[in-house]
Amino acid sequence: MSSDSSNTSPANQAIGTMRRPPLSRNIDVSTLVDADKGLIDRSIYTNEEIYGQEMRRIFARNWLFLAHTSQFQKPGDFFTTFMGEDPVLVAMDKQKNIRAYLNSCRHRGVRLCRADEGRTKMFTCTYHGWSFDLAGALQSVPNQDAYPEDFQKENWGLIEVPSLAVYKGLIFGSWDPDAEPLEETLGDMRYYMDAMLDRDPEGTEVVGGVMKWQLEGNWKLAAEQFATDWYHVNMSHASALMVLSPTGKGPKPEVVATPGRQYLSPKGHGAGFPTHPKSRFDAAPVHEYYDYDALRERLGDERVEGPLTTGHATVFPSFSYLPVNGSIRVWHPKGPDKMEVWAWILVDKSMPQEVKDAQRLYNLRTFGPSGIFEADDGENWSEVQAISHGFVTNSVPLNFQMGVGSEREDGVYPGTTSELYSDAAGRSFYRHWATQMNTPAWHETQHKTAEDQAESDQ
Amino acid sequence: MAPPNNTAPADAAGSAEAVDTSFEQSGELVDAELAYRVQQFYFLEAELLDDGRYADWLDIFDDDLFYWAPLRTNRLRRQAALSIGAEGEAAYFDETRDSLAWRIRRYDSGMAWAEDPPSRTRHLISNITARWKSQNELLVRSAFLVYRNRLQTETDLYSGGRTDQVRITDDGGFRISRREILFDANVLQAKNLSTFF
Ligand code: FES
Ligand SMILES: [Fe+2]
Repeated sequence: MSSDSSNTSPANQAIGTMRRPPLSRNIDVSTLVDADKGLIDRSIYTNEEIYGQEMRRIFARNWLFLAHTSQFQKPGDFFTTFMGEDPVLVAMDKQKNIRAYLNSCRHRGVRLCRADEGRTKMFTCTYHGWSFDLAGALQSVPNQDAYPEDFQKENWGLIEVPSLAVYKGLIFGSWDPDAEPLEETLGDMRYYMDAMLDRDPEGTEVVGGVMKWQLEGNWKLAAEQFATDWYHVNMSHASALMVLSPTGKGPKPEVVATPGRQYLSPKGHGAGFPTHPKSRFDAAPVHEYYDYDALRERLGDERVEGPLTTGHATVFPSFSYLPVNGSIRVWHPKGPDKMEVWAWILVDKSMPQEVKDAQRLYNLRTFGPSGIFEADDGENWSEVQAISHGFVTNSVPLNFQMGVGSEREDGVYPGTTSELYSDAAGRSFYRHWATQMNTPAWHETQHKTAEDQAESDQ
Repeated sequence: MAPPNNTAPADAAGSAEAVDTSFEQSGELVDAELAYRVQQFYFLEAELLDDGRYADWLDIFDDDLFYWAPLRTNRLRRQAALSIGAEGEAAYFDETRDSLAWRIRRYDSGMAWAEDPPSRTRHLISNITARWKSQNELLVRSAFLVYRNRLQTETDLYSGGRTDQVRITDDGGFRISRREILFDANVLQAKNLSTFF
């Protein structure tokens, strides 16, 4: 049932003789997820120990979205975010490399940078004044003479996120020093992401400002929905669809028969989209801006008629996006019962300003804290979570059975796909989640100190 | 010269602060009678919102309305000027009269589940200052504390301030042509903004 957890620092640095005894056990989650039958045990959304294990084996392991490259123009530009619950400082160094560090002073651990974003030359700690440069190096220590001889500033630089990679403007970081290359982790998902990221040869950029809000709900409720759930759209968003529709009426019954596909990745990603020969962007100026023939040339007919516009997607574990309005977002875990949403607005670089504005306005009026779609999603997630701690409630499995057995290679879209209305990507999301939860992460298997090695050799 | 407490506040953000300097009363607080009418106007607005009469609420705005709630970020002190989002950036609200009408139509659809059953709200409005902006325009600042109670125990508290550009109509009534809302928040501590401010 349980095995020892990590006894070494995720910083991958043995410091002196510091070594951690097992502080937490790992739970075998294999009976909590039945991905073949489509059953999920509700405890995975509420249990504190499982949540702690997610921090160690999901968030300390995977590629996590940090920021967009357009947020960094000049050396010293920085942005603070989280990887799981770890605070992270992303900065452009003097050589214009984007780097990321644990946002915690190496001295007594205070949060080093408290600004959300900005530009600076140095990060100086407000507690005792240690200061770190843009390369994370400890530059000055007040009263350094009082430290022992063997105190070396080189040993006390910021803990750097060892793996950093950019995919078409999206910056991802992983605490795993030997992380599989990001492109490999994304695999076929890149084809679907490119329907948003690669419409413009110039690439994308984000509009200024990140919308941030907190709500009750386990982070997986949102990540999973964006991976797999087209099913909720007509019901949950009935009011929003009504005001969007030119006739002012609700969705027609035949909308339920909308053709479309849902991509599911063995690495837990998912993307669903209706398919239509005249697939269109919702915001009129955006629709008028695009030359659909040129897009067909660039991305291929299937992509233009599919994942280009309306649809949903999640990159495992916690990054999601909506191609139709350029909403890119992270579901930051804040304990098992709470998530914090950070949402950026993505636009094509070449768009004229008025088209960017139209996309921005359409985005924030539909999604984001005041978005007319977003509100209904948030209400559902918080109402799942609010009752989840009831003992009996918690012990009744949830249903992910739609489209069981429908997964196949469809000959058109890359990878394995299912129907538009299907839980297939949800099942594969949880299958991958369970596999990772049951597999020791890099920090549990690596970086034995010389002493450990000697011990185990005996 | 007007006494110091009668001048427009220097720290208020946004172009709403631009006053017509050719109008000699610009920046001066309005007299007691007008101040009372302005105050009643704001209290009545709060009543409309708390009673859920959104369509009637929309009538307090002029056709060319700009209704805006910028994001607020934590910045290093030397970059504090950037702590209020700029026009054209992501925002909590960036609305016209039409887009507000569109939001309101959604509530009236009977299918807006995030407000079904509806929340209970109380818009508390205070710290109202009304200054002359031009011959027939006022600049009104106010503070709000909006309490929302939803379903059984869900509660949210939204605190903030507003700076309004208010036109005095021919019949002596008021119409708001620009509203800037500053929430006292960085990460919004509420699952949505499904009321107005
Ligand atoms: S905690 Fe940062 S200098 Fe002491
Ligand atoms: Fe949704």
